[in-house]
Amino acid sequence: MPQNEYIERHRKLYGRRLDYEERKRKREAREPKKRAEQARKLRGIKAKLFNKERRNEKIQMKKKIQAHEEKKTKKTEEQPTDGALPVYLLDRDVQSRAKILSNMIKQKRKEKAGKWDVPIPKVKAQADSEVFKVLRSGRTKRKAWKRMVTKVTFVGEGFTRKPPKFERFIRPMALRFNKAHVTHPELKATFHVPIIGVKKNPSSPMYTSLGVITKGTVIEVNISELGLVTQAGKVVWGKYAQVTNNPENDGCINAVLIV
Amino acid sequence: MVLYNFKKIAVVPTAKDFVDITLSKTQRKTPTVVHKQYKISRIRQFYMRKVKFTQQNFHDRLSQIIQEFPKLDDIHPFYADLMNVLYDKDHFKLALGQLNTARHLVDNVSKDYVRLLKFGDSLYRCKTLKRAALGRMATIMKRQAPNLQYLEHVRQHLARLPSIDPYTRTILITGFPNVGKSSFVNKITRADVEVQPYAFTTKSLYVGHTDYKYLRWQVIDTPGILDHPLEERNVIEMQAVTALAHLRACVLYFVDLSEQCGHTIEEQVQLYESIKPLFANKPLLVVLSKSDVLKLSELPADRREAFKPFQQEGVPLIEMSSLTEEGVMQVKTEACEALLAFRVDQKLRTKKVEGVLNRLHVALPAQRDGKARPPCIPEKVAEKKLKMDGCATGRKLEKDIEEELGDEYTLDLKKNFDIRDEWKYDKIPEMWNGHNIQDFIDPEILEKLEKLEQEEELRIQSGLYAIPKMEMDETMKEIRELARQIRDRKSIIRQESQVKKQSTKPVTPRTTTARARERSVGRLREEFENLGVDMSETDKANFTQTRGRARSLNRPLLKRARSGADDDEEPRSRSTSKGRSLSLAPTKRLRMDSEGRARSVSKPPRDEMGIKDVVMKKKLKNVAHKAIAKKVGKTGLKGEADRFIGTKKPMHLFSGKRGMGKTDRR
Repeated sequence: MPQNEYIERHRKLYGRRLDYEERKRKREAREPKKRAEQARKLRGIKAKLFNKERRNEKIQMKKKIQAHEEKKTKKTEEQPTDGALPVYLLDRDVQSRAKILSNMIKQKRKEKAGKWDVPIPKVKAQADSEVFKVLRSGRTKRKAWKRMVTKVTFVGEGFTRKPPKFERFIRPMALRFNKAHVTHPELKATFHVPIIGVKKNPSSPMYTSLGVITKGTVIEVNISELGLVTQAGKVVWGKYAQVTNNPENDGCINAVLIV
Repeated sequence: MVLYNFKKIAVVPTAKDFVDITLSKTQRKTPTVVHKQYKISRIRQFYMRKVKFTQQNFHDRLSQIIQEFPKLDDIHPFYADLMNVLYDKDHFKLALGQLNTARHLVDNVSKDYVRLLKFGDSLYRCKTLKRAALGRMATIMKRQAPNLQYLEHVRQHLARLPSIDPYTRTILITGFPNVGKSSFVNKITRADVEVQPYAFTTKSLYVGHTDYKYLRWQVIDTPGILDHPLEERNVIEMQAVTALAHLRACVLYFVDLSEQCGHTIEEQVQLYESIKPLFANKPLLVVLSKSDVLKLSELPADRREAFKPFQQEGVPLIEMSSLTEEGVMQVKTEACEALLAFRVDQKLRTKKVEGVLNRLHVALPAQRDGKARPPCIPEKVAEKKLKMDGCATGRKLEKDIEEELGDEYTLDLKKNFDIRDEWKYDKIPEMWNGHNIQDFIDPEILEKLEKLEQEEELRIQSGLYAIPKMEMDETMKEIRELARQIRDRKSIIRQESQVKKQSTKPVTPRTTTARARERSVGRLREEFENLGVDMSETDKANFTQTRGRARSLNRPLLKRARSGADDDEEPRSRSTSKGRSLSLAPTKRLRMDSEGRARSVSKPPRDEMGIKDVVMKKKLKNVAHKAIAKKVGKTGLKGEADRFIGTKKPMHLFSGKRGMGKTDRR
């Protein structure tokens, strides 16, 4: 009964077939031709995928070749001399990556520069027709005063819907979001944090009050998870962030923290 | 019977393949065409279907993987422990658990995005949502890459594990490395375990099967174990320990007396002592291997002291050598017997046995008195039987003799010859004094021959063999002649029909070349003559009065001629060909070509160029004719000069959208 490493054992005992190496060499030599034929034959999405992969492969190949060639050429780079560096040279060429995040001075300078110096300064205006869908009501569907928000919205925790007679704007449950992916631009890290509220939707103040979140909207997020600290030692928990994607198209909210 | 089949687990694809398989399946199995002018509900439905389909596929495939791998809590503890040793239980469980989580995550993503899709108000929005959904599912799977890879490795290794049945009769072999465990297994089974002169050749469990008492016995070869605490044991040793701990088997502890394995006898006994707990409740034998090198009796007495613990415990010692096969069978029988007895004993101790034993009853009648009651056989029968026995024993059969003599027996047929005893063994030569003995077996052969010849002569004289002369009269001759003709005709007809039948190819109607006119006066006459009709006086008969064919050509000429010489010609004579030729000597026409009057050319015509003689010309003409006829016949042309092309641009090859596709498939 074949068990454990029986293939290796057989090979050890009887060897491979005599033309194994030859066949292998030939198969490898045939490989480019096969690939070329495939490249010619493939159509549509398959061709797209194939070409993409092949392109990446080629880039890697070229990089490797370049690396090898660089290895061959002799580098005449000066080794840093031993011994202590003089004081005036200490800070040269040594970039300090670590930055003090909660720097009061920096914060202040930022504030001076303008309160709304945001990552996305220009925002496409959202028309009412885009944001709202008219719902017809009444027995004969003659009345058209009801609106449904078709964009992503943030609805606070304690919100209760009005009775239908008075409810002008409907914000569907499916489009309510309460968490956002917020990127810290300096940490270059993204966190999934809860939203506190919508600060401003640049398209219209009404959207702001409804909590509509579109691209460019400034939202307030709870970043206590990040553990940022003020100069005084308090934990910062609310900060503004600007939405950088179209949440209604992507199904998630991406935002950049405004620091 | 195989209890656990780990070979059936399906291949676990890598994360990349996983995603590719699923997405391409979605592409293949869901509709691909949607337009923005469709009703929005239809567009939504189109994309929702894609999202749900993808999720379902991810879900199914992940469930399949999770289900197919053995659950460590459900399988036999031996396998559970072995898998723990080989693959690390925690890692295994974690991998499967994470796949399970991934499955849930994929489900949730699908649920969320389907909800969002319900509010999609444009094709673009629906499309981007679908894209995001599939992308997130793919990302979730991508995170599972190391788990999938690990599970694939496990699967491959599991499939190669020996299929050990933990419940069956098992002989387990253990001991230090290099003491001859694998050699012994190779001797009693067909397992073909590798044997090498270095330690740890066997790195995992091997199973072989052997027969004893018509039962199947499982023999398990384990890797060698060293004498150190359990925590320090490596994976290889742990496999052996697992087998020892969980299989209820007969254990053969191998001890190398010759110490060729690199461990002294004392060390080997020490190992025995330290792993003794593993032998509890199992029949145990100590096998002293390599007895061809050193036997127990050859060991000095002080060294033999080492075996005292065995003697104290009453464990039997058996010597054995795999090289000379001395004692191998004994070890096997002893082990099997011990285990069999042990298993029966175990069974007897269970509660089930009582239920069976209660129902069993073997009746043993008690003896009534001391009187002998021999079987009663009538006298006659006894006599007959005695006779029959005498008969049987009267003649010695060849078989009996063979049994008696054994190897010295040779088959002797000469002793049964019906000749005198002193001649029975005489040798008969084939040739003697230059004569073949066989020729002289019949002493009267010459006389017999003479007699035969005389008889023959008499017969010849009496005219028995003379052929009577046949006289043929006229009618007979005629009949013969007719018969011959009939025969010839028949054979010709047969051959013709065979020639006709030979070609099985279908004939397109256009290929049939214009046939030469078959009916003619000449032919009619000939055939009738052949049939025996007298056609000698038919010159004036009606059927001979046929018109010439090329009449239309020379009619005007004829008319002119007739008008010129009206009176000296008989008007009726033009109807016969003879008359026409007489009346109309064809006027010689100028030979013209494109340049005017044709001159004689020194160049021969093309069909005569390079041809030696008439014979060759004829032959070539024949060949050409055949070749042309063949071509014309095959391609359905009208003749040699036919260059007709039926359809110049077939519609199906020249119309329709093409783009990147092929011309013949759309």
